[in-house]
Amino acid sequence: MFKKLLLGSVLALGFAGNASAETINILMEGVPDTEFVKQLVPEFTKETGIEVNLEVVNYAEMHTKLVPQLVAPKGSYSAIVVDFYWVGEFVKAGWMQPLDDRIKADNIDTSVYIPALMDLVGQVDGTTYMLPFYNYAMGLTYRTDLLADPQNQADFKAKYGMDLKVPATWDEYLKQVEFFTRDGMHGVVNQGLRPDPIAMEWSNYLFANGGEYHDANWNPTLNNEAGVKAVEQYKTMIDKYGPVGSASFSFDEAFNVMAQGKAYSYITYNFFRTAYDDPSKSAVVGKVEIMPVPGPTPEQGGSLNGAWGWAIPKSSPNPDAAWTFLKWVESKEIAKKRALAGGSPTRTDVFDDPDLNAKYAYYPALKQMLLTSHNFPVFTYTPQLVEVLGRELSLAVAGEKTASDALAAIEAEMAELARKDGKLK
Amino acid sequence: MIGIGGIGNANAADRRDARFGYALSAPALTMLFLVILFPVVSALYTSLHEYTLIAPNYDTFSGFENFMLALGDQEFRHSAWLTAKFVVGVVLLEFVIGFAVALMLNKVERFKPVYYAILLCPLLMNPVIVGLIWRMFLHPNLGIVNYLLSTVGFGPVNWLGDTKIAIWTIILVDIWHQVSFMIVLLLAGLASLPKEPYEAARVDGANSFQCFIHITLPMMRTVIVVTLLIRLIFAVKTYDLIYIMTRGGPGISTDLLSYFIYRTAFVSLNIGEASAMSIILLAAILALTVYLYRYMRAIR
Amino acid sequence: MRVRWGSFIPHLILSAFSLAILLPLVWIVRVSLTDKLTAYKIPPEIGHVGIENYIEIFSAYPFERWFLNSLFVALASTAISLPLATAMAYAFARFNTGGIFLRLGVLASQMLPPIILVLPLFTLFFTTGLMQTHLGLILAHLTISLPFLAWMLVSFFEGDSASLEEAARIDGATRWQAFILIAVPVAAPGILAAGLLGFILSWNEFLFALVLSGADTQTLPVGLASMETHAGVEIAPLAAATVLSLLPVFVLLPFLRKYLIKGLSLGALK
Repeated sequence: MFKKLLLGSVLALGFAGNASAETINILMEGVPDTEFVKQLVPEFTKETGIEVNLEVVNYAEMHTKLVPQLVAPKGSYSAIVVDFYWVGEFVKAGWMQPLDDRIKADNIDTSVYIPALMDLVGQVDGTTYMLPFYNYAMGLTYRTDLLADPQNQADFKAKYGMDLKVPATWDEYLKQVEFFTRDGMHGVVNQGLRPDPIAMEWSNYLFANGGEYHDANWNPTLNNEAGVKAVEQYKTMIDKYGPVGSASFSFDEAFNVMAQGKAYSYITYNFFRTAYDDPSKSAVVGKVEIMPVPGPTPEQGGSLNGAWGWAIPKSSPNPDAAWTFLKWVESKEIAKKRALAGGSPTRTDVFDDPDLNAKYAYYPALKQMLLTSHNFPVFTYTPQLVEVLGRELSLAVAGEKTASDALAAIEAEMAELARKDGKLK
Repeated sequence: MIGIGGIGNANAADRRDARFGYALSAPALTMLFLVILFPVVSALYTSLHEYTLIAPNYDTFSGFENFMLALGDQEFRHSAWLTAKFVVGVVLLEFVIGFAVALMLNKVERFKPVYYAILLCPLLMNPVIVGLIWRMFLHPNLGIVNYLLSTVGFGPVNWLGDTKIAIWTIILVDIWHQVSFMIVLLLAGLASLPKEPYEAARVDGANSFQCFIHITLPMMRTVIVVTLLIRLIFAVKTYDLIYIMTRGGPGISTDLLSYFIYRTAFVSLNIGEASAMSIILLAAILALTVYLYRYMRAIR
Repeated sequence: MRVRWGSFIPHLILSAFSLAILLPLVWIVRVSLTDKLTAYKIPPEIGHVGIENYIEIFSAYPFERWFLNSLFVALASTAISLPLATAMAYAFARFNTGGIFLRLGVLASQMLPPIILVLPLFTLFFTTGLMQTHLGLILAHLTISLPFLAWMLVSFFEGDSASLEEAARIDGATRWQAFILIAVPVAAPGILAAGLLGFILSWNEFLFALVLSGADTQTLPVGLASMETHAGVEIAPLAAATVLSLLPVFVLLPFLRKYLIKGLSLGALK
């Protein structure tokens, strides 16, 4: 009896969704930006009569779920969202439909997107495969109240002979980290978990020291002064200025240290900025601000760029309906609404919108961050490069390899991957 | 070799027995063949080809090259060795704890359902959830475990961030999660043991320990071997816990084989090599199974 | 004196063990009743207490759908695999059907990491229209539980009910009757334990459920995992969902109580 009831209810649930005309299925991840899309979807259904079915899975497993769907000639997903480091792989495998004809036919202006984001999750070698959905460039989040404290300012001046203020350069920031590591406080908290948390965070260290991943010909340029300094600084941060165990922290653990008010700074994805002001998660509401990661000079930035893009897979069962949705969700009106709800924008006209600038004081800093940020190498084997970086950096942090040995190993594997991809001759 | 039941002098009854046996297994076998045969054959076939998801075709037959590549890879060998140690560790520890608890549970009558209900709870939690929850508990600065330790004077333990400790942390969490699996099976084995041998032994004046050694252990042998074997197969496949808790780090200290194969398949998209690694793994477990199986038969 | 110790020590050990299992669960309950900020406060303080996480998992997440999907798939796959595995295990134990090769063959597929099997399984299900259906998930979980249940059960049939069956056969029982009326009741503790573990295998299975399910057929493990996001772990609602996902224990408990006592009495019967 119980079983019959259960069967009935499950079947009813299963069939409830696909009663009406057209439905588009989209695989997404449970981030705030997805939540904002979900809230607006009823408007789209009202306008077009198309039902939207958002399937949410966990980020780490999304790729695993997506790949079989993309390999299949016909899949279940009308549209997908693509993390920047899958882009090279998806293009190489031919899993995404080019959007240029649709963009031309509908007169969509893609020049409104921040150029760096269009390079990252928009165009590849002149063909447009994606529309940038939201950005997750990394920034320096820091405690404004600690900087403003007169006692701290006096102590800092006495110790370093310079003013305690928002750091203009990487070296200035490092001094502040050292300074704030006292009385149970930590100057910094790091996300040292393999592979993407450490690889992404360390990239900021590399850029902040003036380093780059490769030269114009894809020759790796890591095992040099800037690279070694970046690894050694990173290790020092974890061993000396950060809390015990940050070598295994993911973003969540690191965020919690910061949110509990136990660290001065944390280099992380900009969408964590809003979470600091959520009183159910944070003890430092109103005390944390975000800025571009400082670079070697005040003019240069050290931030790593990152973003997700909307795409229509080759295996999409209904690409036309999917395109209708993409046009709608990326229109200025909806993009602005998403940003007002707290989303991370990708369009310059949204960044410059007076309503948004009135609501979020940190918008100019965010825009500046995107404009000065650096892109991670995007090619077919980006995910493997992230794995290699994760493994070798983790070994260096654990003290099982010297900085130079780890970097040499990364260079060797990176060159091999780039050669396999035809980037490096 | 184990005989197939004296075909030479088979009489009508034996033949009918054999037919009855096949009739009983037919539904299960049909079901298995329908669903799992194609994936298994496909994995075998793929392991002999240069097959990646970026170019998913069987155009390049590569013979045993994938196998050689895997065996020559230092990372693969490291993972394999680490996995062997991990599996022996968790299976033995869980067996010792599990058997002790099962023996005690078999003795008591009061509160038995209460104990049983409690020990079932972790089993109903998915490894992903177990990993996430324990990451919170084991947070070195903000976790309850280190806080409790600090109240009795222990410094903060770097549960997941120290190359020497991380693997033991994983083993501890795995024990918390899976030890009940052993208990359920071993308790069922103990519950189905006949009573008479114990009564006879008591009459002869044997104590509990002697009963355990001379009656319980020999009669439980097959249940024990099968329990160990099944738990071992699951332990070799541990990957969710690693994925959630350490991703193989810090360094390469928790990089178990299943997680390594997972990365080869779904990060490097190299299904050919991942299949070859899986088949090497299969061969190793199969050899161990045959050995255990023969051992089990030999002592009967 | 001796009797007293005899019952005291087992209870002592069992209580200690139960406590080790229980304390983390108690802490999960506590986290489920507070917010993330309070959950991570060290030293711990009472802080915020409320049931909004339990409301959130129903309003912001389709918890009831995950739960019912999981329950349905786990019950159905166990209901199918348990009788099939019991019959096969009996054939293996009593008639040595197929010999060692079949026995190992049945288990061999489970020695491959599931990550290797999931792609061809996807292809198979896509061509047969089983993708994203409950039936597909049930079948996928059957392939896992059948071999294991059969192996667990062989050892329970290899006990000494053979002589009882022979006596029954001499009294005129058919092979089928000997199996159903004698072998199965004698092996009942094992069969129930196997059924329980079969349910748990399906209840927790993650990878097949991830790849083969759709929005409507998402199971609890896949749903709960989605609370770990790129923007952090929703630990408080996750704890609430975890607490509710332990509910099957109470569904299983009356059934288990019967088994725990029945198992003993059957052992005594022999």
